Amino acid sequence: MSDGALAGIRVIELGEMVSAPYCAKLFADYGAEVIKVEPPTRGDRARSWGPFPNDTPDLEKSGLYFFLNTNKKSVTCDVRSAAGREVLDQLLDGADVLIENYLPPHLRELGLDYASIAAKHPDLVVISVTPFGQTGPYAEWNGHDLNAFHLSGASNRYCGRPDEAPLEQGTFAADFYGATTAATWGLAAVYGRDLVGCGQQVDVSCAEAIAATFTGGQNIGGAAQDGRFDKRTGVGMSLGAPATILPCKDGHVWVLALEAAQWDGLARAMGNPDWMSVDIFQNMLSRAENRDMIYPLIEEWTSQHTKMEIMDACQAEGCPVTAVFTVQEAAEHQHIKDRGGLVSLEHEALGSIRTLGAPFQLPECPGGPATPAPLLGQHNTEVYGALGLDVGALTADGTI
Amino acid sequence: MSHALPLSNLRIANFGWVWAGPVTGQTLGFLGADVVKIESQTRIDLTRTLPPFAEGEGGPNRSLSNHACWAGNGSVTLNLKKPEAIELAKEFIATCDAVVENFGPGVMERMGLGYEELVKVKSDIVLFSMPAAGQYGALKSVRTYGMSLTSLTGVDSLTGYPGGDPVPFENAFADPYNGILGAFAVLTALNYRDRTGKGQHIDHSQQEAVMQMAGPAFMDYEINGRVAGPLGNRHPLAVNAPHGVFRCAGDDRWISIAVTTDDEWADLVSAMDSPAWASESAYSDRASRIANIDSLHEKISEWTAAVDDRALAEKLQAAGVAAAPALNVGDLLEDPHFCERETFVEVDHPLGFKETIYGAYVKTSRTKASVAPGPWMGQDNERVFKEVLGMSSDRYDQLVSDEIIF
Repeated sequence: MSDGALAGIRVIELGEMVSAPYCAKLFADYGAEVIKVEPPTRGDRARSWGPFPNDTPDLEKSGLYFFLNTNKKSVTCDVRSAAGREVLDQLLDGADVLIENYLPPHLRELGLDYASIAAKHPDLVVISVTPFGQTGPYAEWNGHDLNAFHLSGASNRYCGRPDEAPLEQGTFAADFYGATTAATWGLAAVYGRDLVGCGQQVDVSCAEAIAATFTGGQNIGGAAQDGRFDKRTGVGMSLGAPATILPCKDGHVWVLALEAAQWDGLARAMGNPDWMSVDIFQNMLSRAENRDMIYPLIEEWTSQHTKMEIMDACQAEGCPVTAVFTVQEAAEHQHIKDRGGLVSLEHEALGSIRTLGAPFQLPECPGGPATPAPLLGQHNTEVYGALGLDVGALTADGTI
Repeated sequence: MSHALPLSNLRIANFGWVWAGPVTGQTLGFLGADVVKIESQTRIDLTRTLPPFAEGEGGPNRSLSNHACWAGNGSVTLNLKKPEAIELAKEFIATCDAVVENFGPGVMERMGLGYEELVKVKSDIVLFSMPAAGQYGALKSVRTYGMSLTSLTGVDSLTGYPGGDPVPFENAFADPYNGILGAFAVLTALNYRDRTGKGQHIDHSQQEAVMQMAGPAFMDYEINGRVAGPLGNRHPLAVNAPHGVFRCAGDDRWISIAVTTDDEWADLVSAMDSPAWASESAYSDRASRIANIDSLHEKISEWTAAVDDRALAEKLQAAGVAAAPALNVGDLLEDPHFCERETFVEVDHPLGFKETIYGAYVKTSRTKASVAPGPWMGQDNERVFKEVLGMSSDRYDQLVSDEIIF
């Protein structure tokens, strides 16, 4: 990846699970050199989270770890020990960026709080991505992706039925959102470091990033001015219809037809049933008021067709209905394959395995996974050797 | 805090509309770039017309949600249906580092602003395009709304109550996500430009970018052939339990509790005063808790139901348990954490009203993010045309009266 967009940027990652590792993956997949520092023996906890082949735990066979750590090097180091801390400092001496996601109290315990790091490495950009951030009353809290997501207001406002629990999306949504935010602001701090004149800490709270830019952007102005706000409905959009997910023959479809031309397109795709031309169904608001009548009628049609038949017929008529792809259908779609959206790599423990390609495409300097996720400590000899360290001795005394 | 902002030597022309593209501009703007959105009175962006409005008074410069989502962008008005306006846009682009747009594939080309044309006025320009499913491929013309885009990624298929149908996510989570990631993409290409002198046309498929969020579930499919359905609030990889959102006292009050290690389970049990059921074999070890997650969650719900969510979060946190209230929109403004971090700020708008927007949602220790009120249409016209492009006042006035600067 020497010709990658971010070639020449050197990143040290002290990250586990999802947030910091995904942030560092964005750097790694676009050509930065990322050295991941893992605790000896157990490694990043994602190595213990799976999914594993046949559900048999194995530190070298975690699918989550594989997905999040392509293009990186792995070294082991016990940063709790004085000797380990010295090794880490040597790594940071040659680095532009540190990406970490330890909770602030833990970070202080390790002596790795920003003030301590900046004293030795003033030009380093330190990207800290945690559920709640480095300041504020919850900075001292324990927290995971789930806690951050639901603190953001996103679920109470937008996902779940009104009388039931608010929902996250069934993945690490807050961690991904925080990681992406952290990569962006962190890269800016590196890109403009000469202008700024020094390194700095980039403090990302996953909860805050979503609370501000998603929930807040849409809702906070009105809530502050008028003291009013809305909550989840469980059915999709409340002020327009159809705008919901409906079952079909082989799964589900996202049915959207808000503008007049879209509603007409949906009618044509459905074979122009008489009821769709009734006057009160000619605007999205009155359709929404009659959604209990309309949705079953549309479902009569969707239930007789497959998601692809429905999507193709509607899209051909200019109506933005889409199939609700399973993860398999999304990834195996010919469109994704034609765009190089799946990448096959050889891994020493997992064998030939596919992962998702680059999130965006740079024609001049393509990114994406090129080397598999590393084995635990795979690059100890290479990385520590280059620093002139005695790998044998450091291994023997447990430092690495 | 006197340090220059890291992107203060960049200028961006932003043709983004609705939400995702404007957020890309906003992100770069918060970090110091001079970002100018190019829009027109001839086709006012729908999001400028959405209520609620400042002081309840309608108008394209008073939509509170639009202002929060667009703050950080400047605004120039150009009627791009007129050839002179296209020429002016190109003149401006010649002074820029990057151009941002989130139209469908081919729209910029049809306006005469495709990458090939832009290179002629600025040889190392970076053009950032973010259509729903990319610039090429069978689905390149797919029509979606931001809200439904996630249906093409697999993420919607994971969203819902366990064992039930998918539940729609009721707004476009993908829009600001792609908007922020878009700023990362622009910076990767500018980093490459600085090193090599080459610009490029970035193809950011919103579908592929968001599909990364389904990566963990994809790996289970790839490795074990399992295709997940709706997971509720359970741990996406079922590493431990409980992991959910539980009803508390009051109307629509909830707490999230996430146990990912056996130590955290022990902390939770002790915070619950070690009830007898917690030591039953159905719950005493990790595998049993995962197998019996429904009844486990019921038992915890019985315990949380009569308690205040905030008080319970404090109590659980004191015991080391990862727990937090599930806030509603109103709570965000009063939450002590977001208040202390100044997540939301009231600003004075130059048109004479106050509005609450989000401020620096990332804290940078040596630089202070540039936070401005939502842009009003054409607020940067004089600065851009007269100062940046050196246009005479006479010509400027003529272009305004000809409705080219419009």
